[in-house]
Order: sequence, then structure tokens, then C-alpha cells
Amino acid sequence: MSNEVRIPKVGSHHGTVASYVIGFVLSLIFTLVPYYLLVHKTFGKNALIVTILVFAVLQMAVQMLFFLHLGREKKPRFNLAFLGSTVSIILLIIVGSLWIMSHLYHGMSAMNVTDKVVTDEAIYQVNGVQAGTCPGGTGKNYEVMMMDGRVTPDHIEAHVCDTLIIVNHDSPTRNIIYGSGNNTETYAGQPGPSIPRGQSAAISLTEPGTYTFHDKTLSTMSGAFTVTQK
Amino acid sequence: METEHEPKGHEAASDDRVGFGFWVYLMTDLLMFTVLFACFAVLRNNTFGGPTGRELFSLPSALAETLILLTSSFTAGLGMLAARLGNKRQVLGWFGVTFLLGFVFLVLELKEFVTFVYDGNTWHSNASLSSFFTLVGTHGLHITFGLLWMGVTLAFIWKRGLDSHLVRKLTLLSLFWHFLDIVWIFIFTVVYLMAFLV
Repeated sequence: MSNEVRIPKVGSHHGTVASYVIGFVLSLIFTLVPYYLLVHKTFGKNALIVTILVFAVLQMAVQMLFFLHLGREKKPRFNLAFLGSTVSIILLIIVGSLWIMSHLYHGMSAMNVTDKVVTDEAIYQVNGVQAGTCPGGTGKNYEVMMMDGRVTPDHIEAHVCDTLIIVNHDSPTRNIIYGSGNNTETYAGQPGPSIPRGQSAAISLTEPGTYTFHDKTLSTMSGAFTVTQK
Repeated sequence: METEHEPKGHEAASDDRVGFGFWVYLMTDLLMFTVLFACFAVLRNNTFGGPTGRELFSLPSALAETLILLTSSFTAGLGMLAARLGNKRQVLGWFGVTFLLGFVFLVLELKEFVTFVYDGNTWHSNASLSSFFTLVGTHGLHITFGLLWMGVTLAFIWKRGLDSHLVRKLTLLSLFWHFLDIVWIFIFTVVYLMAFLV
């Protein structure tokens, strides 16, 4: 026949109608079986994950053997060798990413994960804020009064995880400022509380050290507390 | 006089080189998809309070897309067999079916994307959806490109008839199409099926 063409040898390892039909039927089976298993929740979760992945790999093998005709290449099998090195890089990237990221989850994730780590590991302070957990529970409460222009007692000695309670007996609202001056220093990441008349504020003593505090308008109304590790 | 249609030495070597070169392209493309898969696997649960894959995806529609793409891979294979026999009508027929199936696949995929975006679940919403749209969208772009390539090649075959140059193009195109099928198998498994497990 004059219109016959030279068949290029690109990917030259072609199949037959029979091999394509077999490949197609197998690929349908390898799609429908995992779908059925999943929809009908045949096994437990982990077993299903493994089964579904196995079917995906089988499916890939069918596509490679019956449609891409790998393995029927003549030697030297450069395509197969290159596929092999690619697959090893793929495994490195996928397994490596999942492995590393699951470990890094401690350090980079959503608040609920942070909370879980805090609880699991009894961390009592996160980003300078009391996490609500203290190793061995919270300690003693120390109460100081703000009345008659002074803080009584004006110095508290406490341990980490104790609580300082400041009571405002006076009028008007007292705004507590840490440190000296009117700049808003913080203790354990928090600015000083505002305490309405007759009420109190609790401060979790999570940061060791000696700190002073005073009222914003009446700076002579000042006190101090020293927090030491247990 | 008929001559043998076995390729001469240098032509065969050239075909081998083209085949290997295209294979190298496919493998590097696969590496790109690997990185997108890794991103998705890491970020899949970071929905920032938004709906999870389980709430968003429709399994029957994902299954339909998969079956359509598998069938198109099959018809592309039959088209290649016809090309090797030099049967122009069958080539146009089988690849025409492949083109239609690919187009229907693309429409289903875009329909899914539009539904998500219409419900306010865009690639801006959270890391999980960003990685979803990037992974599945990149595959969709490949399908789009494959359809363009197929359309142009079929138009040439229709006008000029089959020659060795066009058959070579068709061979590379079918390699590309089977490759996209394999990538989709993993999207179907890892993105859609796994969403109902993890």
C-alpha cells in the first residue's frame, strides 16, 4: 500500500487490542473495588487506607504495563531506569514531608494542637501567657489590699505557679502599671489589670523575678512581688 | 516496489532519543506533581475552621471523572493501534472519542471548582483548599493543554493524512494522556477517597 507510513519507534513497544482491553478491564476493577470498599466501610480506617493505596499502586502498574508498555523496552532500559530514580525521589519527598511535618507539628500549628501539647507536656506558659497548667497544680494565693493610698503588704514573696490577688478597696478604678513610670510594661506577656472599686484581680505568677507595680494615677500606691522557682 | 517499513538506523536512533527526551519531561512533570501532592498531604487538615474534604467532595462525581478518564486512556490506546495500521478514519474516530471524554472530564472538574467557589470555599479560604486547587487545578491545566494538542494534531491528520511525523506526535500525545491518567488515579485516591478516611 502506497499510503502506508513508517511507524516511528517512539515509545515503540505497542500493544494489541487484547492487551488494551485487558488493561482497561483491570483498571476499571482497580477503581471500583476501592470505591466499593470505602463506601461500604468494609474494614477499619487504617486497613482501608492501606488497601486503597495498594489499589492505587496496582492501578499505576496496570497503566504502566498495558498502556505505557514499560518493561517491553529493549535494552538498555533507560526509560525504566529513569522511572526508578524518579520513584525514589518521589518516595523521599512524600515520606520525608509527612514525617518531618508530623514532628514539626509541635512547633507550628493551630491553637488546639498547641493546647494538646501544653496539656500533654504540662507546659505552664505559652508565649508568655499562663497556659492554665502548672506542674503539680497551682500553688498558694497571696492577697494584697489597695486602700488608704497604699498597698498592703507592699512586698510578696511567692513561687512560680502561685497566684497574686490584688483587691481594690478604694475608689475609684485602679489601673495597675508594672514597672516604674507610666509606660505599659508587662508581666508574663500581660499588661496590668484594671480593678473596679471593691473588686479584685488575680495574676498568675508564671515568670520568676522581682517586679514592682503601682496605680496609674497615684504612683505612690505601689507594691512589689518576688517570684522564685520552686 | 514496496520497501520495508522498518526505520533506518539513524531514524530509529532519533525516535529513541525523542521518546527518551519526552519520557524525561514526563518524569520531571511527575516530580512537580509529587511536590504538590506532598503539600496537599501536609496541609489537608488545615481548614481554618472551614469545611473539610469530607463535607465538600462528592464521591460519585469523582468516580465518574475517574471512569471517564480511564476510558479516554483506553480509547487513546486503540487510536494508537489504528495509527500504526495507518487507518486514518479509525485514528480520527478513537481520538475524537478521547477528546470528547477529556472535554467532559474538564467540564465536570470545572463544575466542581465553580460549586466550591460559589459556596465561598475558594483558594483564599484556607491552606487545605489552596493546596487542593493547586494540585487538582494543575492537573486540569495539563488536561486542557492535552486537549489543545490533540485538537491541533487531529486537525492536521484530518487535512494531511497520517504521516510518520504526525504518528510520532500522536505517540507522544498518547504517552502524555496515559501519564495524566496515572496522576489522576493518585488524585482520586489521595484527595477524594482519603478525604472520607483521614
